[in-house]
Amino acid sequence: MDATLNERIDALLNNQLYSVAPDERKSALLTLLKEHVIVAAQKQSAYANYVHSWPIDPRSAEKIEDLPYLPVTAFKQDPPLMLCPGEDIVRTVSSSSTSGQIPSRVAIDAITARRMTKSVALIAGNFIGNSRRPYLVVDTKTTNMPSSQMGARSAAIRGLQPFSKSITYCLFDRDDNELSIDEETLFGFARANQGEPVLVYGFTYILWLHLIKPLYERGVCLNLASAHIMHSGGWKKLIEESVSKEEFNRCAAAVFGCTPQRVIDFYGMAENVGIIYPDCPEGMKHSPCFGEVIIRDPLTLKPVEEGGIGLVQVCSVLPVSFPGHLLLTEDLGQVVQYDACPCGRRGISFRFFGRVPKTEVRGCGNILAYRSRMMTGRP
Amino acid sequence: MRQHFGLPEPHDDRQTLMDPKGIIHPVATPKEVEALFQSLSSAKQGPCISRVIDLFEDWGKLLDDPSLGDIPGLAFLKLWLRRGTIEGILKREFGQGAELDSWFNIGRSRFKAFPVGVVGHWPAGNIEIQPVLSLACSLLGGNKGLVRVPSRCIKATSCIVEKLFQADKGGLLEGRIAFMSFDHGLRPLHEAMAHNVDGAMIWGGDQAVLESRSLPFPHWARLAVFGPRISVAIMDKGAWSSPESRKAWCQRLARDVWQFEQQACSSPQTLFVEGDSGTDMKVLIQSLVKAFEDENRAHPRTAIDPGLTSSILRRRADWLMGDAKHKASFPNSPDWTILYGKGVDIPNPVQGKTLFVLETDNLSAAVERLDGNVQTLGLGMTDRDQEAAIAEQAAGRGVDRVVKLGQMHTFASPWDGRDLIRPMVRIVQHIPAAEAV
Repeated sequence: MDATLNERIDALLNNQLYSVAPDERKSALLTLLKEHVIVAAQKQSAYANYVHSWPIDPRSAEKIEDLPYLPVTAFKQDPPLMLCPGEDIVRTVSSSSTSGQIPSRVAIDAITARRMTKSVALIAGNFIGNSRRPYLVVDTKTTNMPSSQMGARSAAIRGLQPFSKSITYCLFDRDDNELSIDEETLFGFARANQGEPVLVYGFTYILWLHLIKPLYERGVCLNLASAHIMHSGGWKKLIEESVSKEEFNRCAAAVFGCTPQRVIDFYGMAENVGIIYPDCPEGMKHSPCFGEVIIRDPLTLKPVEEGGIGLVQVCSVLPVSFPGHLLLTEDLGQVVQYDACPCGRRGISFRFFGRVPKTEVRGCGNILAYRSRMMTGRP
Repeated sequence: MRQHFGLPEPHDDRQTLMDPKGIIHPVATPKEVEALFQSLSSAKQGPCISRVIDLFEDWGKLLDDPSLGDIPGLAFLKLWLRRGTIEGILKREFGQGAELDSWFNIGRSRFKAFPVGVVGHWPAGNIEIQPVLSLACSLLGGNKGLVRVPSRCIKATSCIVEKLFQADKGGLLEGRIAFMSFDHGLRPLHEAMAHNVDGAMIWGGDQAVLESRSLPFPHWARLAVFGPRISVAIMDKGAWSSPESRKAWCQRLARDVWQFEQQACSSPQTLFVEGDSGTDMKVLIQSLVKAFEDENRAHPRTAIDPGLTSSILRRRADWLMGDAKHKASFPNSPDWTILYGKGVDIPNPVQGKTLFVLETDNLSAAVERLDGNVQTLGLGMTDRDQEAAIAEQAAGRGVDRVVKLGQMHTFASPWDGRDLIRPMVRIVQHIPAAEAV
């Protein structure tokens, strides 16, 4: 890796996260991303084959949206796509894969790991402040055991660890492998920290199913008025239960005894390491200065106009151990504004619209189901 | 309790089942389905075949109306409804000189075709003109028809049928045809439909066809099932070695790929190309790219399912990153994709104008890998002997249609290796008793 490229990336991590003017930011990112693509293609032959077939030569790309982007499914490979020797990998991060699909696996080297830790802390700090405070994890301790394999839940828990003075886990695994709340620990934490700033984190559906919903139904209030409650992991299971974001926030606020504004949903994905997208007070998501978000029209793949809905592409200059700089996700999003969110953060403000519905090969040309039945032997 | 039935049709809510023209009835209960059958059963005797052919000819002319917009397959439907096309189909299915409206003699017996009665139609949701094509086949057999129109086809079907009613000035089809729409997951409605038919024409994907076949039809009902298939094309070296010939074949292939968004069973998904170590595939790919660009300019997409865009982009990446020898050509949009390499196995289709081009030094080896999943083999060939051998070999492997490139979607009889009209017709034999006395 070119030392100057690394230095320039590290310089971005010391920049103002959300106050750089969009054009200035895009210009800086374009140069870095171009270099990333060219270097990655030199290191990885499969990626090079993809880049060389791209309709626009990355060296002559004039906009970030012209650069070759990979679908995130490219990381569902074993061994994972890497840009460095295997011995340099310090851990792999896996996606949550809640839909029963093959999880993505991302190989992380020391430089990427360092940046990942720093960038998540910078972003989260921008929303909740930088002080350390008691940290309540609505999960089990085993989820966050040190390991070279890191799942999405443990990655999120660890990502917020720089804000913790102490960690308390308030769930445990029952004998039937179901999660259960450890009330003694939870209420002890609440009693000890009443009125104090605390940080709470849980995967969205775990937080809802195992803490908010049961305690709300019992009318319990933990009296943690200064808590920030952060959650991530997607809404699929909650949508199945017809739980809206508003209801989630209202119930969470009632249980923790804080305002709904202190409940922050953030989006993150294993393949987009180091970048999380928390909701701002306006309910929008923003990209930090070392990344960019492009919402592409599914018909043309051009960026949509303000108000338009399309496929979400995430860009990041952080990774060096895998080609995750320009990734097309399987999510739909809407561009609300390209700049000037009332919250004060510059650049795109957007929101997510859920997963792209799976499209099967259609109608009378669909023989895949038959082929699949023949292969699995299932009727 | 709602049950899932067949392939997902994600927009099947009550609102999307509404037809502003009022031709297609949204139904929600088995009683409403029964009521439509009641209205059909009181209809008078059907018209003779020659009058149906006249009517179809007039209908085809009325479809030449710019207000109908760009309904996929409409141009083809207009051609299909012509007297010459239909008489050709009848001739092939019933024999030269066979008169469907009168008795004909073979030896001492007399024979005459009669309709089976009411035919229910379960068309696939991916071909806009299929509801009317399916209906037209059974009308030519003298049957009454009830069509369940998939949500995606409601608008197109309604516009096309409106023209049929305009053409039917004499009211020949009055009370003999009905159209309805309902959520594909409502099995009781499918069952109500099945209970009442004497024949069924079922089209579609694997799941939809399996589900439809399992419906409680009367024991006498005749089923014509047109299940899922894919299609492939092949080109011999002679077809693409000269610039003029290459250009023409590539244009024909592009037309076949474009029709029906490559979702039809007759849509080519893979092109096998004859080559050898001395050939340069690049010239063929360049020609294909040009043909695809031209076709795209002439017939651009106006909408796409985001899931299809994702599938196309995923496949581009999988193809290129899966093997360093694989190559691809595609624009900045999902408009079309050409993925090329070497091989004789058909990759899993993507649709959405994504064509796999596989070079092989032995076309026969590719044809040997085909099976009954392949419906149509589109040919771009110059060597007649090789073509005849390939056709024979493909037919033996289960392929039902072997046609020239550019004609892969020509909906003619036989289709899927079977007749289109005859399955919904009873051939009654009369051995005269009076004569024997």
